[in-house]
Amino acid sequence: MNSNELNKIWKSQKHDFFPTPSRQIIKKAKKQRNRQVIGIAVMSTTIIIILLFTLKFANNRWNNFTMGLVMMFSSLIFRVLLELFTLHRKENQLITLNSLSFYTYLKSYYKSRTIINYMVTPLCFVIYTLGFIMLLPYFKRQFTDGFYTYILISGITSLCVIALIIITSIIKEKRFMHELHKK
Amino acid sequence: MKLEENFTEIYNKHVPKVYRLCLGYASGDENLAKDWVQETFIKVWNHRKSFKEKSSVSTWIYRIAVNICLSDLRKTKQHKILNTAIDKSEITAQEEHCVDENIQKMYHCIEKLNTKNKTLILLELEEVPQINIAETLGIGHGSLRTRLSRLKKILLKCIKNEQ
Repeated sequence: MNSNELNKIWKSQKHDFFPTPSRQIIKKAKKQRNRQVIGIAVMSTTIIIILLFTLKFANNRWNNFTMGLVMMFSSLIFRVLLELFTLHRKENQLITLNSLSFYTYLKSYYKSRTIINYMVTPLCFVIYTLGFIMLLPYFKRQFTDGFYTYILISGITSLCVIALIIITSIIKEKRFMHELHKK
Repeated sequence: MKLEENFTEIYNKHVPKVYRLCLGYASGDENLAKDWVQETFIKVWNHRKSFKEKSSVSTWIYRIAVNICLSDLRKTKQHKILNTAIDKSEITAQEEHCVDENIQKMYHCIEKLNTKNKTLILLELEEVPQINIAETLGIGHGSLRTRLSRLKKILLKCIKNEQ
């Protein structure tokens, strides 16, 4: 076997590959872009509403309820914005960098993800939970016992689900990092 | 409309090569390779305005494809090397089996290479011009020929040892 045969073997691959029509690719790309635009619009509107809400209540009616709400939403928004920023940066690097530079970037990307996963995310989670706890006395006063129990159970369940999602993604990214260092 | 026509032309020209390139990264996992091909061309369409013509379109597309393969670290379903006995009367079937076996060995050997060498050999096997290989990877063109010939020898040796 000589080196030309390598190319022959490579070319002889038999795969039933019927590429997706280009029109469908364009359709998918446009759909992806639209989803991104809608996501950004929703996020921006939420941020504006929270800012207006905070400004309105900051001076005269500021209490534990408003504080709790702001803590919950701001920690969530901060975390989502951070995620969007890192994903956007990664995409830009993927398009512009040559493969070796991108590979080096990937290593630093996953290193920064470790900081996000082990420090920023737990901090946001704690702030979010504290905000939720601060709202509970108000809920107890305002709502019936039944509805309060419902809020309590559903709140704790969603916190558990969020924690589970965070843990799963940390495990997944840890495996990614391990694979990256093996390569 | 002209944009879409241009994209279709570029897509049809590059899709088989990009598919085989991704297939090499995915160690023969066709579904994974198809996902990567689709992702590559979605990015090509979405970022078409950011293409600055510093390099050729082909280099830009190969670069995106390689970067997508590098950044997706999903476990590939590696194909097992077949060693089952073949009926000697079925020559065509035997030849096909032999070719298939060699490809599986090749995937296996390529999988053992590091990222840089894997990209080099996959682009070379696709007969991508060496200047484009150098640009895709971001390495000097000078030592590429020697490096590629050394890599081919390593690959051949590995395939023989798999037998």
